[in-house]
Amino acid sequence: MKSVKSKNILGCLTCPLFCTVEKLESVALNELDLGFMGEVANTPRGKGILLCIQCGRCSSGCPIARLTSEHNPRRLMEMITLGFKNEVLPTQLPWYCLSCFTCLDRCPQGGDVGEVMFAIRNLAVRLGNMPAGVAAQAKSLYETSRVINPVRTALDRRESLGLSKITTDGLEEVQKILKRTGMDKMVKKE
Amino acid sequence: MAEKAVMVVGGGISGIQASLDLASRGYKVYLVEKSPSIGGRMAQLDKTFPTMDCSMCILAPKMIDCSHHPNVQLLTYSEVKAVKGSQGNFVVTVLRKPKFVDETKCTGCGICADHCPVEVPNEFDEKLGMRKAIYMPFPQAVPRAMTVDKENCIECGLCQKMCQAGAVDLKQQPKEVELNVGAIIVSIGFDLFDSAQIPTYGYGRYRNLVTSLELERLLCASGPTGGHLIRPSDGKIPRKIAFIQCVGSRDRRFNTTYCSSICCKYSVKDAVLIREHEPNSTVSIFYIDLRAFGKGFQEFVNRAKTEYGVRFIRSSPGEIMEDPQTKDLKIWYEDTVAGKIENATFDLVVLCPALVPRAGAKELAKVLGAEVDQYGFFKAANILTNPVDSTVPGIFICGYCLGPKTGDIPDSIMQGSATAARVAEGLERV
Amino acid sequence: MKYAFFLGCLIPARELSYEVSVRKVLPELGIELVDMKGANCCAPFSIQSVDHASWMALAARNLCLAEEMGLDIMTLCNDCYESLLMVNNILKRNQELRDKVNQILSEVGKEFKGRVDVKNLVDVLYGDVGVGKVKSAVKEPINGLKVGAQPGCHLTKPKRIHFELLRGFNELDELVQATGAESVPYERKEMCCGGPLRDINDDLARQVSRQKLMALKDAEVQGVVTVCPFCFLQLDLGQLEIKRHFNEEYNLPVIHFIELLRLGMGMKLEDWEVKAHRIPITGILKDRL
Repeated sequence: MKSVKSKNILGCLTCPLFCTVEKLESVALNELDLGFMGEVANTPRGKGILLCIQCGRCSSGCPIARLTSEHNPRRLMEMITLGFKNEVLPTQLPWYCLSCFTCLDRCPQGGDVGEVMFAIRNLAVRLGNMPAGVAAQAKSLYETSRVINPVRTALDRRESLGLSKITTDGLEEVQKILKRTGMDKMVKKE
Repeated sequence: MAEKAVMVVGGGISGIQASLDLASRGYKVYLVEKSPSIGGRMAQLDKTFPTMDCSMCILAPKMIDCSHHPNVQLLTYSEVKAVKGSQGNFVVTVLRKPKFVDETKCTGCGICADHCPVEVPNEFDEKLGMRKAIYMPFPQAVPRAMTVDKENCIECGLCQKMCQAGAVDLKQQPKEVELNVGAIIVSIGFDLFDSAQIPTYGYGRYRNLVTSLELERLLCASGPTGGHLIRPSDGKIPRKIAFIQCVGSRDRRFNTTYCSSICCKYSVKDAVLIREHEPNSTVSIFYIDLRAFGKGFQEFVNRAKTEYGVRFIRSSPGEIMEDPQTKDLKIWYEDTVAGKIENATFDLVVLCPALVPRAGAKELAKVLGAEVDQYGFFKAANILTNPVDSTVPGIFICGYCLGPKTGDIPDSIMQGSATAARVAEGLERV
Repeated sequence: MKYAFFLGCLIPARELSYEVSVRKVLPELGIELVDMKGANCCAPFSIQSVDHASWMALAARNLCLAEEMGLDIMTLCNDCYESLLMVNNILKRNQELRDKVNQILSEVGKEFKGRVDVKNLVDVLYGDVGVGKVKSAVKEPINGLKVGAQPGCHLTKPKRIHFELLRGFNELDELVQATGAESVPYERKEMCCGGPLRDINDDLARQVSRQKLMALKDAEVQGVVTVCPFCFLQLDLGQLEIKRHFNEEYNLPVIHFIELLRLGMGMKLEDWEVKAHRIPITGILKDRL
């Protein structure tokens, strides 16, 4: 529960009325980052945030939103627009999405929630917020050029069937690429 | 002479108004209409905002005026095929499709239709009801004569046999006439966006999912149910009705990114009508924005909320599902104000689709040499200063065929009169 | 027709049977597959979520390999398909991003030229081989088998990238019918299997696949046909996980379309391939295996 810190409150109750996040009961307005929307709009895949009209068509089809009230694509877009950076980037919120693109298919205006989600996740990772599963895949990619590798038995069977070998032929180039984009540092952070 | 004659293409309220204005000024008006009768969309409606008068009751006198006015010649079941010349002197070739009925002899008694063995879906009723192969599109049709739909006619000749006036002539041929006019007015109106293009809504698959025009036909006393609002699947009276706004409108997935401008208004009107009709029913409107601009509309919305108990839910639903047994419809939506994802079941769901250019608009524009905009609506010569002039001098545009301006009936009438004045201005310059 | 065969990571790691069936069936239908030497991970959902430029460059590297081979790419996995297809389309159309990616690729001596296309197995079977040819290759139709076909998300969405119109996706159903089996409609067919959240949020991933299985069970199918290894994993192994967590049993055998086709063409599956299906397929396909 957060409370309004400013001395200059009017008592107009705008903030609790507007607040869409269930856990917050009122909000410190000076904790909003009004540049957040612009930041997301300038992140690759994030431009759609400028076009969202909050119609709610995305949420009504989202498979995850039907399973948990924690995840709500429309509300996430709203939070970005209003500047709830600290409630979005360091939290679990970016990581519920399946990237199934049901939302994107239905969006009439180009808000493209499914794409904005990737932008949010990119920003979250830069702050060090990455689930263990994602970090593990990124690490595997850096170390072997693949996100998952076959175990011994699978490799043996491959050989017995005469199939092509699974190699790390591409690894050197992959590592060069990841060093160039800086992703190698994100991986090592974990 | 040409300067004293005008052609109006499209016999809806806008074209009718333009025709009457010009006729009373002494111009000879050729009113060309593709379907067998003039009247257009307004003839299909039940009641109109704000007076809640019956639409046909207001339209019919104007239609009769057109048919009786000595200066107006109706060319129904006809199409413009070619245009030559320029302002002051156009030569228009009009193809008169054969009705296979002599309009001068037919009394509209309908005995022929009673005996016709062929039944086909009635386009005027948005295919909810049936008509015969020889038919009058609606009871108040002008001209009051039957038409034979040759595509479905099996040429049994029964109609000809039964006709007491000897009006049926199955050997009629199409005729091309050349008319010399000083100006042309285009008022061909709109079609509805094909809602089947949105598969998650299920239009075309679910019986109790109708468009707003289909709803108008269900509510209208001259419609397929005699004005009784019943569900198409089982004929029961619907108790829970939903309207869904912006179906295909404001949607960049289709070429309809604009707001169609009249749907919010007419859906509130229909919602109030239904609540009056069936006080035991509930009506919910799913909207993104409620666009109720202009005189009296916002107040009407407020009355809908407070006096008539219409529920307004700010949400654009993602999908509709049908219960295979009851044929009830379940709408999945997020109440964006509450932030909750929910579903609700309704007996009848009305889609309010985008309004799009008429089929054939592009072809007509080509024949006229006029430009259309990116959506296919007729382009104004200058959208700010010459909004009813087309891009061809001497050809004017009115009604919804020029796009979603404010779009409702008074505006269409206004634009009809505007084009009449523009025609006169162009031809009477001193 | 010849294709650069993009295997991805999941299939060699966990679904060798899928690869084997593809290698056995496609040549019979006139499709030649050429292995891509040194291909790297396509950069699926997880990697895309980490860094945008890395995604583009990694996917583009694979596209460059295919360009050097002079062949279009065929993938089996929906994630691979989505990643490679999107990057291919974006770089073909956006000069600025293309320059940016090529700058990164210059580190490894490669350049994206936009010369190839990306297809998935269903594209190839439907478009290149054709339903008619598939049908005539089915010497022993699997008549009477009612299945729910799972096309997976990234074959069907987002529609504006994969198809021009918002039409329904019928290709997989038609292919299934060509084997003699019946593709039964079921609710929420286009819904995700939950795969992308595997290992990231297992609880939600399970719940999603459970919804899918519930819809399939309601439709009274005898089995499920998949084309993506993630869908297969979620719906096959997933049933065991769901049994553990929700104490529910669905007993819906899951089989890859290519395996179904293989059986329909009269070939038999090896013992280890049959066992690769956690929910036994011996029930519905007893004499065929």
